[in-house]
Amino acid sequence: MLDMVMTTGVVHLTIGNLIMWLIAFLFIYLAITKNYEPLLLVPIGFGILVVNLPLTFLMHEGEGLLWKFYHYGLEWEVIPPLIFLGLGALTDFGPMIANPKTLILGAGAQFGVYVAFFGALILGFQIPEACSIGIIGGADGPTTIYTTVHLAPHLLGATAVAAYSYMSLVPIIQPPIMRLLTTEKERKIKMRQLRPVSKKEKILFPLVTVLVICLIVPASAPLMAMFMLGNLFKECGVVKRLSDTAANELMNIVTILLGISVGATMSAEAFLKPQVIFVFIMGLVAFAFSTAAGILLAKFMNLFFKEKINPLIGSAGVSAVPMAARVSQIMGAKYDPKNFLLMHAMGPNVAGVIGTVVAAGVFIALAG
Amino acid sequence: MIDWNLAVKIFSFGLGAVFSSLAILIAAIYAFGKIVKVTEKKS
Repeated sequence: MLDMVMTTGVVHLTIGNLIMWLIAFLFIYLAITKNYEPLLLVPIGFGILVVNLPLTFLMHEGEGLLWKFYHYGLEWEVIPPLIFLGLGALTDFGPMIANPKTLILGAGAQFGVYVAFFGALILGFQIPEACSIGIIGGADGPTTIYTTVHLAPHLLGATAVAAYSYMSLVPIIQPPIMRLLTTEKERKIKMRQLRPVSKKEKILFPLVTVLVICLIVPASAPLMAMFMLGNLFKECGVVKRLSDTAANELMNIVTILLGISVGATMSAEAFLKPQVIFVFIMGLVAFAFSTAAGILLAKFMNLFFKEKINPLIGSAGVSAVPMAARVSQIMGAKYDPKNFLLMHAMGPNVAGVIGTVVAAGVFIALAG
Repeated sequence: MIDWNLAVKIFSFGLGAVFSSLAILIAAIYAFGKIVKVTEKKS
């Protein structure tokens, strides 16, 4: 009888397991009731729940089902590039091509990545760990995961959850910083309507970008190449089936695998450590500084350009697409309901994705 | 022990790479935009 009882998970439960269950339930609750990144938080939450069931061995090396998803999907670097393929097929670079100087805002918003990088070093993290924590400031989930798997796989659960949590909290984190760093007059700046972008330009963009970025930072190639391939699928107009698959079915499949694999890394032993709290704190610092840097850079650019940029679009330089751009639009419309900033903000928003991938490539090349 | 030299190198090269690659991209966008315009006018 005792032997039989010992084969159940009940007697092997730990306090750590129960705490992780609560975290899992919280994620699932936030996803379902508050709509916080539900596509990721539901599978992540479920992954956390099942990996913290004793004796299931779902993450047992070489055998566990979730270990196989994690190993072949993340460690083999398959899932994040496939997510980028889908993102490329969903992204319209038109607003950025129409106003290329907004690319600089996407670069400026990477500043927070380096603030958090140094912050993490001061807190005692090693360089590869600091890189993984810093990249959270890029607000790009797949890039954060890709970098962390390369440099600090033991922090994967914490960095991935921090990145997606802060991405979903963009509408809460960014507005106070935007208000703090801009005047009412600046928030009301109206930007000229964007010129139409020809199909040829849109087709040339992914080809030129992959050449430029991958020549400068070859380590960014897996993400950048797939991102631009997805975009080429979308823009060339002759492979609609591939574009649709990349943007829908494939994206959905890899999102499921990504979510449950990330959740599965969050066992009580791996996650309930003081350093995880520091990861979350530095992630928030990174995010806040990235937002601030984008806004301040827009203000700085206004000193030189005749055509003024509304600094509210600078905050969209953090990648979180399209949430950050929407926040710029909402904030601008609050002060002038006739001010439409959404398309202007999409420029730095998608530029931020490219900037984060470049930053990640450098991290991997130098710290890997 | 943290290798601060490497950290500074990562920072300077990283931020430099982000800005320079996006700056080159801006130049490239302007360049191919002009080329496309010229070829469209000719045709």
